[in-house]
Amino acid sequence: MAKVLIPTPLRQFTQKHDSVELEGSNVSEVLTELISKFPDLRKQIFNDEGKLRSFVNVYLNDEDIRYLGKEATPVIPTDTLSIVPSIAGGAIDIAPAETGSIGVAEPSTTAPATTLSKEEILRYSRHLIMPEVGMEGQLKLKNAKVLMVGTGGLGAPLGLYLSAAGVGRIGVVDFDVVDFTNLQRQVIHGTKDVGRKKLDSAADKMLDINPNIQIDRYEVALDSSNAMEILAPYDLVIDGTDNFPTRYLVNDACVILKKPNVYGSIFRFEGQASVFAYPGGPCYRCLYPEPPPPGLVPSCAEGGVLGILPGTIGLIQATEAVKLILGIGETLVGRLLLYDALAMRFRELKLRRNPECPVCGDHPTVTKLIDYQQFCGMPHKEEPAVSVAQEGEIEPTEVKAKIDRGDDFLLIDVREPHEYQICNIPQAKLIPLGDLAKRMNELDSAKEIVAHCKSGVRSGKAVDFLRQAGFKKVRNMKGGILAWSDKVDPRVPKY
Amino acid sequence: MIKIENSAWDVMVSHAESTFPNECCGAMIGNIDGDQKRVTAAVPMENAYTGAQGARYELRPEDLLAADRKARAAGLDLIGIFHSHPDCDAYFSKTDLENSCPWYSFVVLSVKSGKFDHAASFLPNPEQTAAEKEELTWPKS
Repeated sequence: MAKVLIPTPLRQFTQKHDSVELEGSNVSEVLTELISKFPDLRKQIFNDEGKLRSFVNVYLNDEDIRYLGKEATPVIPTDTLSIVPSIAGGAIDIAPAETGSIGVAEPSTTAPATTLSKEEILRYSRHLIMPEVGMEGQLKLKNAKVLMVGTGGLGAPLGLYLSAAGVGRIGVVDFDVVDFTNLQRQVIHGTKDVGRKKLDSAADKMLDINPNIQIDRYEVALDSSNAMEILAPYDLVIDGTDNFPTRYLVNDACVILKKPNVYGSIFRFEGQASVFAYPGGPCYRCLYPEPPPPGLVPSCAEGGVLGILPGTIGLIQATEAVKLILGIGETLVGRLLLYDALAMRFRELKLRRNPECPVCGDHPTVTKLIDYQQFCGMPHKEEPAVSVAQEGEIEPTEVKAKIDRGDDFLLIDVREPHEYQICNIPQAKLIPLGDLAKRMNELDSAKEIVAHCKSGVRSGKAVDFLRQAGFKKVRNMKGGILAWSDKVDPRVPKY
Repeated sequence: MIKIENSAWDVMVSHAESTFPNECCGAMIGNIDGDQKRVTAAVPMENAYTGAQGARYELRPEDLLAADRKARAAGLDLIGIFHSHPDCDAYFSKTDLENSCPWYSFVVLSVKSGKFDHAASFLPNPEQTAAEKEELTWPKS
């Protein structure tokens, strides 16, 4: 028989018992048994519809059943069930946030909207007719303040749908400009926007979709010096970044400021999503305590990404953000959703808050923002990316001059064969970086060698590798074939 | 009526003053004898509200569960919740009422310019539509 602990004030209904032993194979059965034994308890715990009252939480041992199987959670005889109320409040009389929803921040500075205009009622009609959203929910959306970090692949669908859904205030952080390689997936920007600031392009599109919203533009790279200030006014943060330093920065700032962080990431054909830094839930560091060594996980610019993929993941993030604002449904708190576009399969991993976590654990050691470039092992911008290669760099124009002069040297292209098909320098010999070790015998160590790739990163590694293998006269073509296109031969397409 | 003992009261006031200008929250533990509630210990808790905390608070149910276990282990009862109203009187606001729970006594401490000013206790009705003031005594009242 499972044990149910009775809160003190309810013992007047249980003949003063402070705990009761009851039969039942799941939570629902145990609670039904409890009510049938002590009928006066019913209206304390259940509402008229027979559902648990809004402030009642049931814990199975140490876990909230909401994060287990709700009322269908199986119960074994050694289990203990506790009835724990949700309690909140505040000096100011504003629309109360339901348990699990995001309240309205800063009630004192701007009065929350309490009505919708005629135009808005028409616009949000399909929301308003669903009781789960309704007028109350639409006003929550209108009063919500959401910060989107990045307007790239993930930020594009997020921006489009959050503005359409009527999220009243959206902060957008981006310092980049739109370029042609963005258009394959960043659908918030169009061909006419190439060369414009992403912030302006995105804001124009969002305000065109919904002029009722406010957009706060932050044309900065989010870093430790500005993150706390930028995040402060918002109820929740959506991480649409593509790099580890910013991801850890957003995570830590969200934990410190106690703001949920709706996380998403994409690579090639796969994506992930979760909700971090929700009270009691895990954070990104509980999942990945340490960043991967720099260079191990390629960026989308290096590894590529299926253009549609960020659409899927960005919309999962948008869905979670809207659910958090409305306080409905089951969010991804404590769950990591994995998506494989090629297999067309979703999987789920359970995540727990790590009590030892340096940020959100019981005894946090990181209580303010740190240097995330350093934490992720990234060299600061002023430092050379690949130290050895830097000394041995050669300008594309000089390589062209060598070819024209007929110098005796070997130009190797360390990209992949499918990249070689997009564009190439005819004189270059293709040896993909991964094959370099086993094909080293094809190279003459006495001869001068120049390596190139797309932008100079992989060829830098090739140069390092060859030098360690004893090749003395190896140099890296600065800026790769992209620079070659800029400086030598504009007919070579950039990708 | 509810009576708060010295040691518990000190904890409540210092928690309310140290979290100023934000709201604080916590649980009150003690025993009940008929209509007489006696608070012998206070458990300060973290305000888990995710927005600005100057005028809002939220208790984490896990913290309340832990406090309840602690009370049971000591043969005591969880009998109430306390929170502060920074630079604001100790009344039971609509937000307090709608997010409360009808089972407990709710003590509100008014903290003005960082110093404790006055306090009051409230008992929400079962429908959470109104709260009745409960007679409260604390060490220097």
